[in-house]
Amino acid sequence: MEFVIENLSKSFEKKEVLKDINFTFESGKIYGLLGRNGAGKTTLFNCINSDLKADSGNFYLVEDGDKRGLKPTDIGYVLSTPTVPEFLTGREFLKFFLDINKDSIGKDNIRSIDDYFATMNISAEDSARLLKDYSHGMKNKMQMLINIIAQPNIMLLDEPLTSLDVVVAEEMKQILRSLKTGRITILSTHILDLALDLCDTIVLLNHGTLEIIDKENLDSSEFKTRIIAALTEESHV
Amino acid sequence: MFKTLRISFSLKNTYRVNTILYSLKQIPLIRKILPSTLYNVRGLKIFANVIAILWEIMTFFVTKLTYIGTMIYIVADLYEGSATDAVFLHIFLFLTIIGAFLNTYIFETGKDKYYAIVLMRMNPKHYAITNYAYTLFKAFVGTLAFGLLFGITAGLSIWQCIILPFFVVGIKLAYTSLIMLRYDKAGKVPSQNKVDLTRWIIALVLLFAAYLLPLAKFTVPAFVSSMIMLPFILLGILGIFVIARFKEYYSVYKQLLSELAIQMDNTATKVVADQHKNFISNEGNYTSNKTGYEYLNELFIKRHRKILWKSSKVISLVSFGLILAAFIAILIFPESKLEVNELLLVFLPYFVFIMYAINRGTSFTKALFINCDHCLLTYSFYKQPHDILKLFTIRLREIIKINLVPALIIGGGLTFLLFFTGGTSNPINYAIMFVSIICMSIFFSVHYLVLYYLLQPFNANTEIKSGTYQLISGATYFVAYLMMQARFPLFIFGVSCIVFCVLYSLIACLLIYKLAPKTFRIRN
Repeated sequence: MEFVIENLSKSFEKKEVLKDINFTFESGKIYGLLGRNGAGKTTLFNCINSDLKADSGNFYLVEDGDKRGLKPTDIGYVLSTPTVPEFLTGREFLKFFLDINKDSIGKDNIRSIDDYFATMNISAEDSARLLKDYSHGMKNKMQMLINIIAQPNIMLLDEPLTSLDVVVAEEMKQILRSLKTGRITILSTHILDLALDLCDTIVLLNHGTLEIIDKENLDSSEFKTRIIAALTEESHV
Repeated sequence: MFKTLRISFSLKNTYRVNTILYSLKQIPLIRKILPSTLYNVRGLKIFANVIAILWEIMTFFVTKLTYIGTMIYIVADLYEGSATDAVFLHIFLFLTIIGAFLNTYIFETGKDKYYAIVLMRMNPKHYAITNYAYTLFKAFVGTLAFGLLFGITAGLSIWQCIILPFFVVGIKLAYTSLIMLRYDKAGKVPSQNKVDLTRWIIALVLLFAAYLLPLAKFTVPAFVSSMIMLPFILLGILGIFVIARFKEYYSVYKQLLSELAIQMDNTATKVVADQHKNFISNEGNYTSNKTGYEYLNELFIKRHRKILWKSSKVISLVSFGLILAAFIAILIFPESKLEVNELLLVFLPYFVFIMYAINRGTSFTKALFINCDHCLLTYSFYKQPHDILKLFTIRLREIIKINLVPALIIGGGLTFLLFFTGGTSNPINYAIMFVSIICMSIFFSVHYLVLYYLLQPFNANTEIKSGTYQLISGATYFVAYLMMQARFPLFIFGVSCIVFCVLYSLIACLLIYKLAPKTFRIRN
């Protein structure tokens, strides 16, 4: 499976944020989207998730040579600030989600609610509390859990892991790695080390275009230098 | 000192200019014309500067003009049988005492002060004294000008008028120096933005003294008033020394501005979000046996009883009480029956406004967004057209239900009153009255929910972003308000109202089915 972006452009008033982007993402890979502050990473995600109307451009999936347009359910979007319905308990949220999506997930794939919480290391006691009383990290786990169960073809993660404690962050990394087969994972981040550690491919969003930075035979510190050079260099063009 | 004044003035001015430009950018249509770089456009900047300077000049005179003109002079003229000059001085005396402790200027906290002292690290003492002197100077000039104008018109002698500005400045200086002396001992100053109960009570007593004593024919004689004012001038001069020697400006402002800083960190939107978070309550451990969207909806309604059903119940009870009171009043004064009956037959338009005012639609949609849709709209399954429409139908039912209880009581009560006060020649009027009230309630329920689904006015930070939404909300209020003035025969108004509400609701729902899957998203 491939995810193709064709001629994507987006401007805010006179500021061109995305300039005629053409890019193909391949399944089974985690892409690290790097860019400086204000480069348009979130704008790109919002366009893909159709939260924002692009000025021009197409998105489609290619499966076994067949092209088809994106459906909302193809995408799982995990925001940097976790968003969960705070008036529900963790358990209720999961039950509601499973109710709605039982057909798309498939009966055979649905596991018990306790099972799901166990995989995320959320205790039974915590799962019965209102989400408004969850900590930031717990909310994040909950949001991730929902997105994992939905099994989207494309996972967008905006600045994940940045505000999580080390233990949860490590758990999340493991989860992301275990999920990458069969789908396209794109995560935006400012943290170079995280991108290098977790991602198979580094993509720069610079001056409104996407560009792959090849690792070639560089060791990780040389690679880092190269990425930073690419980001600084081009900003003076 | 002039340098400090110049810097703080230009700081305040920049802040004002940018505020003006920012507000311009909030107006739909105008927003489109303005460039995104508007904060740099020279012409616009000059325009905003002119407004800011005019504003500053206004504060010089207009405040004192309106204050002395309306709150003292015009009022003083109203008391019959008392000498205007004495009443003028009497009110002036008491109001100035209130002003001295409610409005010290120097302990006022504002964003400009925060920027200057905390962020820009200006010398707090220089900043405070310079600005204080400037504000007192403004107060002095304003009071001098309009004290003379209105004072002499009220019959005061020139010297009595000239004392006024000195008294105003003197008593403020005296009070401020008193606080400073106390600060050295107590380590605290009273915040001017948060007035405590004691000061409110004192202010209220003085306010009564100012306006009610002359009514009871007790006025401080003009000469005595002037004599009371004089010593404060002396105290004020002594106060200058205290204020000039005071060293703790930094700690005082730190204390006062820390409250403000917390407010500024918590933006208004965060405050709203936190407030809505508090609306969620799991008292009684409600659960639901339903599934899917019905499950979501039931839990939402149950955990938001506080703002949804509880207020609806209160409104119902109050409506019931009012109707009962009207009923009892008619029993006691049977002669009013005819009048009430006539009134009821033309008064229906008035209830458009009442039904508008008691509708829970805005709080419902706001809670829906902040506590529910705001989060769930980031999940793709929630944005499926079929799911959006399903949930819309459920919510429409709920909001109609919540608003229907008071509507039934009001509709039923009015119909009963109509019957009780002598009825109507055309029995169909009973039905029309009842049904049209119910229709109004349903109309407003539909209206708010449809607006919410079609315009989805909030952005991810739960700020209202849609100008169209605000425009329509404003127009709704305006129409409802106009209706309050209108008098139409029950039959004609009732029937047209029912037809309108039914048609509107049908069309609105059709629109939802066509458009909502596209419009119901988070704005950016």
